[in-house]
Amino acid sequence: MSLPLLEVDDLHVTFNTASGPVHAVDGVSFTMESGDSLGVVGESGSGKSVTARALLRLFAITDDVRIAGSVRFDGVDLLRIDERKLRDVRGGQIGMIFQDPLTSLNPLMAVGEQIAESLRLHRGMGRSEAAAEAVELLGRVGIADPERRATELPNSFSGGMRQRVMISLAIACRPRLLIADEPTTALDVTVQAEILLLLDELRRSEQMALMLITHDFGVVAATCEDVQVMYAGRLVEKASMVHLFDRANHPYTEGLLRLVPRFEDAHTGRLHPIAGQPPITGGGGSSCAFAPRCSHAFDRCRSEVPPEVAVGPQHLSACWLAAERAKDATEAGRPWKRDP
Amino acid sequence: MTTTTTAASSPRLLRWMLLRRLRDGVVVLLLVVTVIFFLAHVVGNPALVFAPVDATDEHIAELHRQFGLDRPVLVRYFEYLGGLIQLDFGESTWQQRPAIDAVVEALPSTIILTVVGLAAAAAAGVIPGVVAGARARKPFDKASNLASVTALSVPNFWLGLLLILLFGVQLGWLPTSGRFETASIVLPAATLGIVHGGRIFQLVRSATFEEMSKPYVTVARSKGLTEWSILRRHVLRNTGVTTATIVGWEYVRMWGGAVFAIEYVFAWPGIGLLTIDAAHRQDFFVLQAAVIIAGAFVIFSNLLIDLGYQFIDRRIAAS
Repeated sequence: MSLPLLEVDDLHVTFNTASGPVHAVDGVSFTMESGDSLGVVGESGSGKSVTARALLRLFAITDDVRIAGSVRFDGVDLLRIDERKLRDVRGGQIGMIFQDPLTSLNPLMAVGEQIAESLRLHRGMGRSEAAAEAVELLGRVGIADPERRATELPNSFSGGMRQRVMISLAIACRPRLLIADEPTTALDVTVQAEILLLLDELRRSEQMALMLITHDFGVVAATCEDVQVMYAGRLVEKASMVHLFDRANHPYTEGLLRLVPRFEDAHTGRLHPIAGQPPITGGGGSSCAFAPRCSHAFDRCRSEVPPEVAVGPQHLSACWLAAERAKDATEAGRPWKRDP
Repeated sequence: MTTTTTAASSPRLLRWMLLRRLRDGVVVLLLVVTVIFFLAHVVGNPALVFAPVDATDEHIAELHRQFGLDRPVLVRYFEYLGGLIQLDFGESTWQQRPAIDAVVEALPSTIILTVVGLAAAAAAGVIPGVVAGARARKPFDKASNLASVTALSVPNFWLGLLLILLFGVQLGWLPTSGRFETASIVLPAATLGIVHGGRIFQLVRSATFEEMSKPYVTVARSKGLTEWSILRRHVLRNTGVTTATIVGWEYVRMWGGAVFAIEYVFAWPGIGLLTIDAAHRQDFFVLQAAVIIAGAFVIFSNLLIDLGYQFIDRRIAAS
C-alpha cells in the first residue's frame, strides 16, 4: 500500500500568550491522497487556519507557539525536519494562498518578479527563464496581456486579479498540495466564483491535492469532494461533501448548515443562529467543547471528550449522541442506521 | 507606510508643492526673526555689556547712539527687516564686522560636525535597528533596545561631559575642546551619534518589526525564502524610504537642538557656540543672523527630505 500524500496525526498547536496558553488545535488527525480536495470548515477561532499554518510551521517569529503530533508529507514528518529542508517543501512541494490578496503581495516588487523568485529558488531557473515562465503562469491563471502585467506593481491589479497572481505564485513550482486559506473571503461573489473555478481547474490539470479552508459551506460545496468541520480546535465531523449535506450528524454541523440562508426560507425572513459563543481559549478541556451550546447535550458530553465514531461510509462524527446510538445499534445486532 | 507628506503625482503638482513649502518657509523665518528680535531687544542692552565697568552715563548714551539703540524699537525692527530683504544682516557690536561674516565663518564647522555625527548615528541606529526588528523579542533585540533607550534618555551635554572625563581626562586619548586637529571631532560627533543613534534605532526597529508582521512576509516565507532573503529582498525594499526619512529628520533635529549644547560643551567653533556667545554678549545681529541661517538650513533640509521622498518611492510616483 502506498503512503498517503499527507498524514496529520494528533496535531496540537498551543500558543503561549500573556493571558495563558491557548490550545488553538487540539488533537487533529486526517489524511489526504494525491488529487484529493478537502474542505475545512469552521468559525473564526476554530483552529482551521492555525492547522494549515502548522503544516508548514508558518508562524511569526514573535509567536510563542508549541506544535506537537506529526505531519507526514510523502512519508517525511514536517514537524521534525530542519529549517533548510522545510524551506524546500514550502513553495516547492506545498503551495499556499492566503485570505487577503491586497496585502499578500510585496507592494514594491513587480508581480512577475515575485513569481520568478519562487521559480529560481525551487526549480533552479535562471533570471530570464524564470521571467518567461512567470509570464506563462500569469497567462494560465487568466491574466490578460501577461507580458506587460508581469512588470507592474501589485497596486495596478484589482483584488480578484491579485488573488489570481497569488494563485499563480503558489502553483509556480507545481506543488503536490495547495493550501488555500479563505482564498475568496475578501472578494466579491462573482469574482469568488471565478477564483473557485480556477482552483478546481488547476487541481485537475496539475493533479494537485487541494486543502481549502473556509467558513462558508457554499465555497466547499463548489470545490471540494470531502469536508471536515472544526470546532474549538477539534475535528467534529468528516465526510464526503454530498454525504454531509444530506446527513449531517454532529449537532454543530447541523447548526452550521441551518445557518446557510435558503431561498425557500426567504418569506419567513428568519435565520437560525446557534445560541451562545465558541470558547475563546480553544480546546484542551475534558468535555465536548460544543456541549454548552448543544441542545442534545447530556451528562457524558460535559465530562468526557467524545470519540470519533463511524456513522456511515467514510463518515466520522465526534459526538456522544452518535457514539451511544452506534453502541445501541451494535447491541441490537443490526448495522447502524440513522433515525429518520 | 505612514507619511506626513502629500504625494505629488505630476511635475506640475510637484512645482506647486515646492512653491507652497517655500512660502511656508518664509513665513516661519519671519516669525522666528520677529520673536528673536523683540525678545532680545526687550530683555537685553548691548551697550551695557559692551561698556567698561566704570563707564559714565554720557559714555553709555554715546554707545546707544552708536548702536542705534536710541530710536524706538519698532523703527529699528522695520529697518532691520528692510536690511534683511537686501541680505544685510546688520553689524556685530562685538566683532565690529558684518554679522553674516561671523555666521558664514562658523557654518562649515557645524556642517562638518553634524554630517559626521549623523553618519555615526545612522551606523549606530540603522543596522542594529533592522536586526532587532527582524528578530524581535530575541536577546539581541532586548539588549540593544535597553542600550538605545539609555542613549536617548541621557541629557546630551551630560553625556558629552562624561565622554570628556573618560577619554580626555582619565585616559587622555582624545582632545576635548576646540577644533585644532582632526581628532577633535571624535568626541562631539560620538556624542551626537549616541544620542541620535538611540532614536534612529527605535524608529528603524519598529518600522522593520511592523513590516515583518505584514502578510506578504508570511507569503514570502511560504515560498521557502530564508529569513535573510526575506529581509534583504522584501522588507528592506519597503522600509528603505522610511529609514531614509527617519535619518533625514534626525539631521534636522540635530540642528534644532543637540548641536548647540554639544558645540558649547566641546567649544566647537560652529554656529551653536557662536549663537550662545552672541546671546551672552547681547550681540543681537549675530544672534539673529545665526538663528535665521540655522532656521533656513532646517527648512531647506526638510524640503530636500520631502523631495527625496517623492523620487525614491516608486509607488507614490506611479499612483
